[in-house]
Amino acid sequence: MNADQALAELRELSSQVARAVVLEDGGEVLAGTDDGPDASQALAAAAQALVAAAGELHATAGDVSRAEVELAQGGFFVLREGGRTIAATTGPGPTAGLVMYDLRTCLNAIDAKPKRRRAPRKKADEEAAE
Amino acid sequence: MRKLLRLALATGLAIWAWRFFVRGRGPHERASVAYADGSDVVLEPGSPEFDRLASIARTVLPA
Repeated sequence: MNADQALAELRELSSQVARAVVLEDGGEVLAGTDDGPDASQALAAAAQALVAAAGELHATAGDVSRAEVELAQGGFFVLREGGRTIAATTGPGPTAGLVMYDLRTCLNAIDAKPKRRRAPRKKADEEAAE
Repeated sequence: MRKLLRLALATGLAIWAWRFFVRGRGPHERASVAYADGSDVVLEPGSPEFDRLASIARTVLPA
């Protein structure tokens, strides 16, 4: 599944997510739910700024893996896994755990890089041979 | 002694009711960050760190 398909599925499954964007390791936008590229770029920039600011809070703890901000007007969630980042906004009073679960599911649904896809297949082939 | 116990019980109930019905209704604002080493930080409103993260979030949330 590509990033656009994964985001479309996220929008179908999660009633809480309003906008979302998926970023590659370098920060380039892979896919976004917004109509225009400018809106996706703005969401991506905010996600990177949030991660940078969160990283400065605890400099010795390594990379930021998750950041979430819940405000009266809505929530802003950022999740980083497997070299990719997904950021999403929600309306007021989101169920943070559920939103994070949906974001993780979306990120995991996006096709992994070739190295990661081959490993489980090889193992399955070996088991079949035995 | 019984009056004192009743007074303490009534005071406790009043505090619980105030927290449940009055404070619980306001918007709960918070920020949390998790790191690769497994540690995490929870920030409550009023701290400069929370304000910084909140100001970034507000740029993408509806006013």
